[in-house]
Amino acid sequence: MKKILALILALCLSLSLAACGGNNAPQDQNSPAGDDPATTTAPAQSAAVEEGGDTESDVAYVQAQGTLYVGITNFAPMDYKEAGSDEWIGFDADMAKAFAESLGVNVEFQEITWDYKVQELDSKTIDCVWNGMTINDEVTAAMAVSDPYCTNYQVLVYPADKAAEFEGLTSLEGLYVAVESGSAGEDAAEALGATTVPVQAQSNTLMEVQSGNSDAAVIDVLMAAEMTGEGTSYADLAYSLNLNEAQGLESENYGVGFRKGSDLVDAFNEFWAQAVADGTVLEIATTYGLQDAVILE
Amino acid sequence: MIEFFQSPVTQTILTALNQGFIVTLELFFVTLIGAIPLGLVIAFGSMNRLAPLARPTRWLLRRRGREPRWFARALIVFRPIQLICRLLVWIVRGTPLILQIIAIYYVPGLVMDGGTPWPRGEMGRMTAVCVAFIINYAFYFSEIFRGGIQGVPKGQQEAGLVLGMTKGQIFFKVTLLQMVKRIVPPMSNEIITLVKDTSLSRAIALQEVIWAAESFMKGNQGISGLWWPLMFTAVYYLAFSAIVTMVLGRLEKKLDYFQV
Repeated sequence: MKKILALILALCLSLSLAACGGNNAPQDQNSPAGDDPATTTAPAQSAAVEEGGDTESDVAYVQAQGTLYVGITNFAPMDYKEAGSDEWIGFDADMAKAFAESLGVNVEFQEITWDYKVQELDSKTIDCVWNGMTINDEVTAAMAVSDPYCTNYQVLVYPADKAAEFEGLTSLEGLYVAVESGSAGEDAAEALGATTVPVQAQSNTLMEVQSGNSDAAVIDVLMAAEMTGEGTSYADLAYSLNLNEAQGLESENYGVGFRKGSDLVDAFNEFWAQAVADGTVLEIATTYGLQDAVILE
Repeated sequence: MIEFFQSPVTQTILTALNQGFIVTLELFFVTLIGAIPLGLVIAFGSMNRLAPLARPTRWLLRRRGREPRWFARALIVFRPIQLICRLLVWIVRGTPLILQIIAIYYVPGLVMDGGTPWPRGEMGRMTAVCVAFIINYAFYFSEIFRGGIQGVPKGQQEAGLVLGMTKGQIFFKVTLLQMVKRIVPPMSNEIITLVKDTSLSRAIALQEVIWAAESFMKGNQGISGLWWPLMFTAVYYLAFSAIVTMVLGRLEKKLDYFQV
């Protein structure tokens, strides 16, 4: 009898573990909602999350935690590490450190998978996405986005020996163009009639072109400058063609993403205006060669 | 060739890959240590014959003097623990591991009010991935264990009973030993798959060896646009698989001394 009891207990343990696993996830919703009348009426899971964000101050949450978790990817010159160093630096990283200091908290940089940035924010595994994020409709629909702080445009990357075929193109029809899935580059390539080849990361697009699987790639100009040419595996690739100009569009803007309804956005905008006024922004931007791209007004 | 390995760029890359591979190894060993005992518990669960409704149903049938029809028969063979275990085996084996990792890491935080229950930062990701791997592999292992236990001839247990051994003694000294011998080849298969499956953990940005290698494609520590590190990770996996194969081969030989 004892043995059966022990077995049942062990099973319950493993089952409850599996339940945490999300297979039975919707059940979990009931337990935390019980002591909060505002969320018991909310039918959808996302609604519960949003209401939670509205009622509490996100600034207070971060200050209580004592650490601002900044979601990044390794992206020079925004967030990167120098050879032999373990510290995140870059324009975004340095500004994030200053922002955390203004909140009176520590800063912790967390590398994330870019596709899951919204889930990372909503599940509070990070507090902001600060990594040269282009502001578009999808981003503003899912996050609270700061005022734009930097500009950027998309470029076409192609094999250098075929430069003559690509320069001055105004349409990409009939070309296989590698893009990062869900990026602004994907929208631009589609708008110009390209057959897009979506891959996981901007960096993977260059492998597509190098290996000849795609004719060209569309990525951020900052990234193209960093990743192609001498000293890289992609010395044979070249880039040109401002796709934003080709479409008659304005350049893109970079912004910082926060949880929907978070008051960290206001804290950020206030901090940024002050940092622009006292020259911090221009000083740090100049360090990383972004003095032309950064927005100062 | 030697110059290539001595260059500072290669040194930086190899250091990063080594760090990544340590994370891979941590995940591998934690999974193995956690999943084997849990798998045994689940194997018992899916062999459990507890049928709480069998007795009352039979009693009722006897009192009324009826033959069991389909409903009564279903009640007699209703084994809840076995049913739940086999249902979970189906769910865990029937969904991709990458989906389970993503669900375990993100869904609790998205559904619960206070945000994620995992610790924040790198440690939380490691914990979540370990839990996902332990659960997934425990259910795979449980089926291997079940096959191993059920494959031991019933005569062995009967012989134990004749010799006056208790049920516990029979299990540990007769069945378990013979099961271990039988399951080594299929377990080797799973364990080598596990070595390579660890790379799925980068779905939630755990910085294992493939993640580290990919970082040099887009740029890390001033090195960018290199794709050879990604291909080079194969060396790590192959070397480790070779060690695992050797260890398991030796274990198989050691267990060769008795024949059934």
